[in-house]
Amino acid sequence: MSSESEPLLRVENLKTQFFTEAGTVRAVDGISFDVHEGEIVGLVGESGAGKSVASMSLLRLVESPGEIVGGEITYKGETIFGLEEGPDGELQEREDMLSNQEMRDRIRGNEIAVIFQDPMESLNPVFTVGGQLREFIELNRDLSSEQARQEAVEMLREVGIPDPEQRYDEYPHQFSGGMRQRVLIAMALACEPSLIIADEPTTALDVTVEGQIIDLVDDLQEKYGTSFIWVTHDMGVVAEICDRVNVMYLGEIVEQSPVDELFYDTKHPYTEALLDSIPRPDKTVGELDPIEGVMPEAISPPSGCRFHPRCPDAREVCQRVHPENKQVDTAEGVPHRAACVKHDAFDVGYDESVPLAKSPQVTADSSANTETSVTDPERGTAGSSGGEGSE
Amino acid sequence: MGLLRYTTYRFLQAIPVLIGISILTFVLANLTPGDPVRLMLQGVEADQEMIEQVEARYGLDRPMHERYLDYMAGLVQGDMGHSFHRNQDVASLIASRIGPTLLLVLSAYAFALVTSIPLGIIAAKRRNEPFDHVSRIVALLGVSTPSFWIGIMLILIFAVQLGWLPSADLVYPWWSPEVYGHDGYLEHFVETIRHLVLPMIALGTLQMATLMRVERTQMIESLQGEYVKLARAYGVPERTILRKHAFQVAQLPIITIVGLNLSTALGGAVLIEFVFNINGLGRLFYEAIIQLDYQLIMGITMIIATMFVIGVIITDIAYAYIDPRVTYGEAE
Amino acid sequence: MAVGETQVESGSEPGTKEVETGWRATLRKIKRDTTARWGLYVITFVLAITAYTLIDGNLSRLTFGNVSDFAMAEALPIFEHPERLPPPGEADTNVPPAFHADGSMAHPLGTDPNGRDYFTRIVYGAQVSVSVGLAATFLGLVGGTIVGAVAGYYGGWVDDLLMRAVETVYAIPPLILIIVFTVFVSGGSPDVRFAIIGVGIAFIPVFARIIRSEVLSVREMDYIEAARAAGVKDRNIILRHVIPNSFAPVMVYATLQIGVTILIVAGLSFLGFGAQPPTPDWGEMLQTSHSYMHSNVWLSIWPGIAIMITIMGFNLFGDGLQDALDPRIND
Repeated sequence: MSSESEPLLRVENLKTQFFTEAGTVRAVDGISFDVHEGEIVGLVGESGAGKSVASMSLLRLVESPGEIVGGEITYKGETIFGLEEGPDGELQEREDMLSNQEMRDRIRGNEIAVIFQDPMESLNPVFTVGGQLREFIELNRDLSSEQARQEAVEMLREVGIPDPEQRYDEYPHQFSGGMRQRVLIAMALACEPSLIIADEPTTALDVTVEGQIIDLVDDLQEKYGTSFIWVTHDMGVVAEICDRVNVMYLGEIVEQSPVDELFYDTKHPYTEALLDSIPRPDKTVGELDPIEGVMPEAISPPSGCRFHPRCPDAREVCQRVHPENKQVDTAEGVPHRAACVKHDAFDVGYDESVPLAKSPQVTADSSANTETSVTDPERGTAGSSGGEGSE
Repeated sequence: MGLLRYTTYRFLQAIPVLIGISILTFVLANLTPGDPVRLMLQGVEADQEMIEQVEARYGLDRPMHERYLDYMAGLVQGDMGHSFHRNQDVASLIASRIGPTLLLVLSAYAFALVTSIPLGIIAAKRRNEPFDHVSRIVALLGVSTPSFWIGIMLILIFAVQLGWLPSADLVYPWWSPEVYGHDGYLEHFVETIRHLVLPMIALGTLQMATLMRVERTQMIESLQGEYVKLARAYGVPERTILRKHAFQVAQLPIITIVGLNLSTALGGAVLIEFVFNINGLGRLFYEAIIQLDYQLIMGITMIIATMFVIGVIITDIAYAYIDPRVTYGEAE
Repeated sequence: MAVGETQVESGSEPGTKEVETGWRATLRKIKRDTTARWGLYVITFVLAITAYTLIDGNLSRLTFGNVSDFAMAEALPIFEHPERLPPPGEADTNVPPAFHADGSMAHPLGTDPNGRDYFTRIVYGAQVSVSVGLAATFLGLVGGTIVGAVAGYYGGWVDDLLMRAVETVYAIPPLILIIVFTVFVSGGSPDVRFAIIGVGIAFIPVFARIIRSEVLSVREMDYIEAARAAGVKDRNIILRHVIPNSFAPVMVYATLQIGVTILIVAGLSFLGFGAQPPTPDWGEMLQTSHSYMHSNVWLSIWPGIAIMITIMGFNLFGDGLQDALDPRIND
């Protein structure tokens, strides 16, 4: 987990945009992070923060009309995405960038696997669970059909599915949601990748099953040493499973630190707000403090700091200055970054600036949000009433 | 419930529908205002004695429900009644004419499936590209054009103008080549196909267009499925995704549509057999209607409805066989 | 700054659109949809022609009777009283269309074997096709709505009985059923009025099924329960709540069904069981011209094209409506 060694995956200034009729949506707007071997890195934020788009960008699987427009993704020294200036001055794809063929044959599945959010929809309804597992194993590892079958059964057992021999021949609809998610985890692990992207893998499950799945992943992660990128909106899950965390807001990373630092020495007001909105043993439900307002659209982000309309600490300067994600502290030799001008690393005159008055509109909205959060506190939603489940 | 029991169950379920059809056709045939005998004898110089004879022959002097029960008793024993105009057994008349109709309808279906599925898939894959636009226009024209007019146009172009293909009648492959003076089975086969091509296209175009639209929509939907995303994320080649992962799911609604469209195809056969002068069930139906040969009309209606019901059952069973999610017990 | 005003998801979900509901949103979508717009143009065009033929005072509106004289023919000099049957022996029965070497602009599409101007007959054919299409579909819609609503709302044996009946009607291919109905009920002299009723009956099953499934889904909704608990009569619940809620899918289906109706009635007339001569109907014209198929090819071409264009209009509009109302597939 040391930051000196070359990371497994390095993402630098990644930008993914969607070109829609209504305009360009900057879903991912210049994020940088890395993942080291054996690490679980969290990607946290509300719905619409761009977490899923960011994770799909890593596999170069952004669907039309989306497109990766900038930045660099390096995996084990190979370039998954990279641009350079062409002879005509236009940006073009770098020579050493992996081709689509190479991405398919060498990266997707065998090197980087995914676990999707919705286990109900992710498995093909007309094929047996075992058949799908076997197909992906066969495709991503040099195994014969029979060996792949063996491996599939073995993996099903490994993820805690009883009677794997028999269940191998059953169809997805015969599995419960939690069991299907176990199948998807088995699928990811069976391909023996070095990195697994788990895109909100527990959001669609109920809380007890969620706990089981997280424990399972924790155990298997230790056993196999696979790295994870854990995409979630749930700070509770982050605390349980992640080593390092990237907090995303409107396409940007606003705070980046080891998990303990994030919880005990929070540097960004947004992270603070996220933490305040989840239930904790030391707080009663009444003390929950949802984030005010709803995240604006990425199509027309607010000026300056994108969080300032909802930020309790916002001052006049926040409307003008757009903070980059800067190192503001060090924890165990790992930098703690945050994109907030209230820190000394930013010298833009925050202390002298006038606090912003809240508009009545935002207040009105926040009351509505209080309601949603209180009725559903155990999900640990970040106070946004915009449908979490639809991501 | 196993597939076999499901099959039995579906066939048993069809019995009330078949009984309903017999009642419906019987009632329709007896709705005729005025004397059915006079209707039957239209154009025939008939005296009172003859009318009475006919009435007695068909039992028309008895109440309707008695006659229906008689008719049903006959049906159960395979007796579908008697054709007045042809002085022939309805069952044997139908048996002699059912072959060409089956040949026509099945080949039209084969034509429709073979063309629509690949075209629909390509259109879905190249959505909003020129190929998609052209195929959508073709499909739109296909569902908007009367089949009999397509038949007339095909005759005018390929039979009259170009003289490439025959415009009337079919060659029955189940008859021996000598009947047609064909030189061996190869010529027999070629002639069969040559006679079949135009009516097959005329009848199959509507099916093709309908299936193509469904296939396209289903494939588009299927290609947006999470399971397709998952397959992509595991490095499955696009071609395999298209042909296996997305395809299998998309075919399920097609199966249902194929069954239900049999209704249109059987109705269309009447028109196509009329245009192409094919001696099938459709043409027999037309002639029976013209002659108001009412037992023959009832017989043909029963048979055609039964063919449709059986077709739907077969596709239902196929669906249940292919889709693992169907629980046989609850299936309709 | 409109923070908090909208709950539209963006960023991670650019594929999903704003969820719009209500008629205004639907209309806006239809306007945006190229397919629906073109369908609307074609339908408007055909309806305008139909409307014209209906205002023309010399035409019997109800019986679709013989077209004896034309206001339009007087107004437009090129038509030299085309539809009047020429005196026996003087009929120039074989005037080819204008683009033909022997043709003239007096009869742009030539004349039929009786010497009647073909263009005029095609124009007047719109009246029969459109009114039969609309009337028969409407009949099926009303019948199907009643059957489906009653079956779905009451359930139990009422549902069983009605659905068995519907299944029975559905099992007979429409064209066959309509022919049998038309010929027998008319006592051997079929007519377009019987055809309308026949088509209406044949289409009850499809509408009944849609309405029934809509009713079944609506029936369980809380506000229906509430209305029932509040003592609102069943009939009023069906009329005021259930049916309006099923409206959207039924409208799509009805629009597409108009095309099917016109298709079927054309076939019916072509076989001689629908509109009867001398009514100018496209199917009937194809039947008459069938005997002249080889000598006067054009007689078989124009009515078919007219049918195709009309049906295409309804299909285009129906498709567009479906896209606008069905959120499953978005572009």
